Amino acid sequence: MSVGRRSSASATARLSVLFAVLSVPAFTGVWELVARSGIVNAVLFPPPSTVAVAILEWIRSGQFFADLMASLSRVAAGFAIGAAGGIVLGVLTGRFRLVSSLLSPLFHILRPIPPVAFVPIVILWFGLSETGKLFLVVWGVFFTVWLATHIGVQKVDRGLIRAAQMLGTPQPQMLWEIVLLGALPYITVGLRTAVSISFYTLVAAELAGAFAGIVYRIEIAQQNMQTGQVMGGLAALGLLSFVADRSFATLAERAVWWR
Amino acid sequence: MTPSLLRPDQSLRLVDTYSPSAPARQAIIRVEDLSIVFDAPSGQVIAVDRVSLAVAQGEFVSIVGPSGCGKSTLLNAMAGLERPFEGQVLMAGKAMRAPRPEIGMVFQQPHLFPWKSVRRNIAHGPRALGKPKAEALRIADDLIEMIGLTKFASAYPHTLSGGMQQRVAIARALANQPRVLLMDEPFGALDAQTRAVMQDNLLELRERINATIVFVTHDIDEAILLSDRVLIMSAGPGRILKDLQLSLPRPRSSAIVAEAAYLALKRDCLDLIRSEGRRAFEQMEVKA
Repeated sequence: MSVGRRSSASATARLSVLFAVLSVPAFTGVWELVARSGIVNAVLFPPPSTVAVAILEWIRSGQFFADLMASLSRVAAGFAIGAAGGIVLGVLTGRFRLVSSLLSPLFHILRPIPPVAFVPIVILWFGLSETGKLFLVVWGVFFTVWLATHIGVQKVDRGLIRAAQMLGTPQPQMLWEIVLLGALPYITVGLRTAVSISFYTLVAAELAGAFAGIVYRIEIAQQNMQTGQVMGGLAALGLLSFVADRSFATLAERAVWWR
Repeated sequence: MTPSLLRPDQSLRLVDTYSPSAPARQAIIRVEDLSIVFDAPSGQVIAVDRVSLAVAQGEFVSIVGPSGCGKSTLLNAMAGLERPFEGQVLMAGKAMRAPRPEIGMVFQQPHLFPWKSVRRNIAHGPRALGKPKAEALRIADDLIEMIGLTKFASAYPHTLSGGMQQRVAIARALANQPRVLLMDEPFGALDAQTRAVMQDNLLELRERINATIVFVTHDIDEAILLSDRVLIMSAGPGRILKDLQLSLPRPRSSAIVAEAAYLALKRDCLDLIRSEGRRAFEQMEVKA
């Protein structure tokens, strides 16, 4: 009886691996068939083979790498500035009641406004410049990282702080070593969320008007009815954001090195 | 059979020397009319009620009392971690307002920095006080040898057992060469075997460094084994009921707690407590 159950469990496990391997090819195959069957308009809903050709053409023309670099540099710069600001202010508001009283109410009002809603005012302030795009990404990243750091700092084991106080730890070392590292597990969670947010805001920033970038390329392709290119752009964006999230997760595990 | 450390005829001389005003003798740390009040949802709670005491240089004093009697709060005030509501704590004649490195503290939990190796945890204090890195690490290495963890110098705290972690915490507190070592139920979270080993280690350590130690515990056995003097506290509000001078021979070992003479001595001690503070004693027995 138990043997039968075990063998049926292992059969399920094997089937599950098979399904996982087949998942993407099966989906692509069905898509190809549907798009070619004439049930749908192939111009609006091109088959995967058309999308693949568009992607290859995009890469061959050299535009893909220019677009990739433009988008990546916006995300990376915006993430770095927003995260650094969020961590520094999060440590200060988390540790000092007066700083928190001064800044937290303001941050809590600004935080829920979706960064996308700032596009119109950003265009007025910065035009179509890179500064405006950076601003949007920084805005999206900052509040997420700030909140995670603020909460993390308040959850730092009080015993660690007391132990450090008894050993004569000076205030700057207390902040940037004991408190910061004590809050690091929370901060890395905030940073990881901020990675996806930085891609959301990148979309808004590039749709608002740009001269290069993956989302910019999607928009141009849409205006020229190049639906294959549009879908190729979406696939590239999905892959990029997936790789960024995965590699950040790996990095975050190493960041908390003592675990 | 191991030779007895106590002669069967040896009687324990218990002398209650507690007086509400601190005794006027050479004290390194002195608590004067200290009261500590906490804000609770139900109103203010008096955790420590007009306590006075003095600890002489080189003395080992235990503070014994039931859970929640304010003994840890009293110790935190002596560490400068808790603000007096009234009264004051004087360290070598100067009022304590904030923690000072000349007072070391070992908590019930080791509270080691999880991101630092054993060596760097112990070197933290000397580094924080501005000692050069090489010197701080040398101090750490000496202490690691003393606590017998040389093999684990570069290990991270979470890889060590509870007893090993607490040894590191003691070494870390000693690294700044404090004049007074405060210990807040340091062995309370350990299992019985480890606790006995740690008590022996502390007795040995004390012979070597001749430190002044104030030790908080709810375990009367531990207090008698380790101390020169035992202060008995009562709960709600925290007050000192008795100040008992013990005269057990040194060096001691945790083996003596099983000896008849020691048990007689403990009974005398408990009788004394009982006659003075029945309520406090009963709470302590429940706890034990």
